[in-house]
Amino acid sequence: MAELNIVEKVIALEAVDLFKNLSGEQLSRIASIAHQVHIAPGRTILEPKREVDSLYVILDGEVALVRGAEMIHTAKQGEVLGSWALFDPEPMPVEARAETDVLLLKIARGDFYDLLSDNMQITAAIFTTLVRRFRQLAGS
Amino acid sequence: MLAQLSRFRRSFLDVREGEYGRTLFVSLYLMFVLFAYYILKPVSRALFVDRMDPDKLPGLYMLIAPVGGLLAYVYSRVTMQISLKAAVNAATFFSIGFTVLMGYLIKFQWVWTYYVFNIWVSMFSIMMVTQGWVLAANVFNTREAKRLYGMLGLGSVIGAGFGGSFTAFAVTLIGENNLIYFSALITLLAYLMFIGLLRVPGVNLEKAKAHEDEPEETFSFGDIMRDIRHYRHLQVIVGIVLLTFIVDVTVEYQFQVFAKSQFKGRELTAFMGSFNGIYLNLVNFVFQFFLTAAVVRWVGVGGVLQIMPITISMTSLGIFFAPGVLSTSLARLTEAATRYTFNRTGMELLYLPLPLDLRNRTKAFLDIFVDRFGRGFGGLFLQVFTVWLAVKPRELSLVILFFTASWSVLAWMAQREYLRSVRRRLESRTLDFEEIRISVSDPAVIALLESTARGDNARQAAYALRLLGETEGYDAMPLATSLAGSRLPDVRARVFSLAAQAADESLLPQALAEIRNARAGATTASIKPAVDYALAVSPERQDLAARLLNHPSGIVAEAALAMQPADSITLEWVSSMASSPDVAKRRLAAIALGKLGDTGTPLLHSLLADGQVSVAEAALTTAGALRKRVYLEYIVQRLADSQLRGPALDALASYGSSIAGTLRDLLEDPQLAANIRRRIPRALEHMRDQRAADELMAALSVPDLTLRAAVVEALSRLRRAAPELNFGPAAVDREILDEAKRYYVLAASIDPFRQQTSATGAMRLLASTLEERLTETLLRLFQLLGLRYPAAEIHAAHRALKGRSSEDHSAAIEFLDSVVDREAKRYLMPLLDDHAHVLERAKDLFGIQRHTLESALRELIRSGDPWLVCCAIAVAAELKMSSLKADVLALEGKAGLEVDRLVAAWPN
Repeated sequence: MAELNIVEKVIALEAVDLFKNLSGEQLSRIASIAHQVHIAPGRTILEPKREVDSLYVILDGEVALVRGAEMIHTAKQGEVLGSWALFDPEPMPVEARAETDVLLLKIARGDFYDLLSDNMQITAAIFTTLVRRFRQLAGS
Repeated sequence: MLAQLSRFRRSFLDVREGEYGRTLFVSLYLMFVLFAYYILKPVSRALFVDRMDPDKLPGLYMLIAPVGGLLAYVYSRVTMQISLKAAVNAATFFSIGFTVLMGYLIKFQWVWTYYVFNIWVSMFSIMMVTQGWVLAANVFNTREAKRLYGMLGLGSVIGAGFGGSFTAFAVTLIGENNLIYFSALITLLAYLMFIGLLRVPGVNLEKAKAHEDEPEETFSFGDIMRDIRHYRHLQVIVGIVLLTFIVDVTVEYQFQVFAKSQFKGRELTAFMGSFNGIYLNLVNFVFQFFLTAAVVRWVGVGGVLQIMPITISMTSLGIFFAPGVLSTSLARLTEAATRYTFNRTGMELLYLPLPLDLRNRTKAFLDIFVDRFGRGFGGLFLQVFTVWLAVKPRELSLVILFFTASWSVLAWMAQREYLRSVRRRLESRTLDFEEIRISVSDPAVIALLESTARGDNARQAAYALRLLGETEGYDAMPLATSLAGSRLPDVRARVFSLAAQAADESLLPQALAEIRNARAGATTASIKPAVDYALAVSPERQDLAARLLNHPSGIVAEAALAMQPADSITLEWVSSMASSPDVAKRRLAAIALGKLGDTGTPLLHSLLADGQVSVAEAALTTAGALRKRVYLEYIVQRLADSQLRGPALDALASYGSSIAGTLRDLLEDPQLAANIRRRIPRALEHMRDQRAADELMAALSVPDLTLRAAVVEALSRLRRAAPELNFGPAAVDREILDEAKRYYVLAASIDPFRQQTSATGAMRLLASTLEERLTETLLRLFQLLGLRYPAAEIHAAHRALKGRSSEDHSAAIEFLDSVVDREAKRYLMPLLDDHAHVLERAKDLFGIQRHTLESALRELIRSGDPWLVCCAIAVAAELKMSSLKADVLALEGKAGLEVDRLVAAWPN
């Protein structure tokens, strides 16, 4: 698959819940630090005991999420792996393994922080989303 | 004793250059107002008591409470609308007129005139006396007021004393009617003082308000009731306030009945004058200025609240066993004097541990309603006991004893609740010490703070120690000394600060040990206070400072450097520090260059470019302090670094507006990185002066929309921070017009996309981006309007237009319609209309035509706005619009990497 252009990356990033309060132009700034990654079938994307330092958006393919020996979900196009990794490096309790050829959009935490430090409005919009999510969790 | 006398003299006579005229006229104004009031008060009460039966007194009390309250409310509503000057004029001439009328009517001895006269006198107190203090508050600023209020209070005391003694002396010579006329004359004298005050240079009361309108709006009855139900502390306060005023009315009744039995006619007026004006006033004065603070310190809040019920119980027993004018006068004197002094102070302290917002709204409520309700209820209670149950005045003392016993229990509960509240707030460290200064003197609170300071919770302990250290009259050093070996660094830090404040050398060995143990890179809270203290009290401070400069701990070395004189620092030493691989030493060099001045220019350049944030940060601070243009470029480059942006902005602001023009050149320089240019408006904003405002206004012509948004934002903030600056109305009008035109152009571009209701992919993204652009343009338009018209109201109107309330929306349009001038309204108001109307006006005003999808995309591709160009190319590709091919290919190599990728992918 050819490298996505900036508009296509933005459309892919719109699927990320964490970014849902961002405007198209703000997403384009995140898109500029997002890189396409190809993963071969059977390769591990996230390991339960390793720190997570990036967020991944699945552009194509299927990813199995496995806890111990139990397969808990198959993630597909548009779904996100490690959405909290941008804020919390703690390992995820599941393993993410490519079931097929997988194309991902990867956003590294360091690049993301650099971007936030330069774009106050993006930071504010992400805070809003996080606070709303906390409220929902507290409410439920 | 001498210190107390000196403090007393300072509190009264510390009048400074430029304050003499104001102090003199305000003091005389208050003196004459109080003079007049202390004629009217004894005359009105004496006439009522003398001419009416005692059983009418409860009715008078019941009447004064609600009618006086209602009149006070009406008066405050009226004065809210007018200036203080107008209020003083109106109140003075109304008072003089009404007083003269009362003097005339009293001659006819109609029963109703005595009621009206007494109600009028309570109104006079609210209008003239309270207004006198409002006047003082407007003539002096807070710092002056703290020094001069003692002097003004003295004027009041003298006025009240004169009024009472004059009444006692003159009533037998000229009679009550003439005294009333005389008080009108004195009121006129007060007014002449007011006129004199207006002529004092610097006094301007044109804009001063006679009444602040917040209290009326800040609490609702329901909220207060809920608060009272929720807080036991408040319930106790309400109980004490109610009992205070019920007992007040009862004691006053006994006093007046026995006074009537002893004195008749003018003798009664003379007695009332002497009692209120001289004895009560004098006792109040002595209690307030010499005893209250000491008694509060001695017995604490709980003790001070017990003074009133206990002394009233004793004097009531006196009345019961020896009824007469002497015992009732003593009771009244005790009751009124302790109420105005000890009890008032105790009650004020009782509020302090409450959260600030709760305190403000409940205190206003209690002051306004519970006070009057208590007096009215006292009148009703007297009516029941004296008129219906025929209880004799002497026997009322037994009933008072019942009330004072309940009061005493409440005061005991109040102390417990008070300590509980202090403890809770101490735990959350939310005690506002500035306001609680007096209450910390309370022995129980001090014991609580001492035990907290010895506790294991580091933050609470340090906080308690700070409170104790700032308590007047408390020697914190013994406690501090015992805590010098605490294992908690926060506590040790506070201990060394206290010792430095007290210039106490006894903890020097501990401080030196603390410094010896400081490791390189350690950030323990106690290190810096230990160094500061050691360098402040050590007899060999210069030698010590020189030794500590080479300490491995950066904190120690920096604190030592601060104590070094500039001539003791050599360039060689700074150079050796600057070239050290140790980050702390390079940081020290950056700080030291601040003392060397220009000598170290090349060194500072290298330190400004240092890769370590802490070093570059110190270098930026030094460069800002030196204000040399040679460092400007380095500082500006640091704006790109998110970790150094704050210090870089501060450094640029330190230069002041002498670099404002240079900064604008950089802002407009296309060769400079965009993320640096975007920060420059903020630096100009921080300068807060006219030149910076002028440069920002000139920078509005910058073509880049992101930069223009940053400039408008900075101007908007500058306007709010420095409303006195002139932004040039004509220039702002031009910018408003330009921004409005941008809005119309965008609205025309967005039209074809709004019709694509089921758009997906790039088309939807482009449509939503254009909608965001429209919203941002409207925001900038309002920010520009805020530079031309009242900023706060314009921003409120913008918020209302964005909100969902149709009522707020209409109000905002109404406001803009009335504020904005005719020419600007022509193109502004249609923007707030529906979309079709906006397009019509776009054509009428600027000749902007509606777009087809193709022409809209062409215009966006040519717009130069990188993100819009990307979206437009993607949409054109999606729609396979070959007619736009030439426009797309024309962008190759001109609009950035992302656009180039899109152009490269364009189908051939």
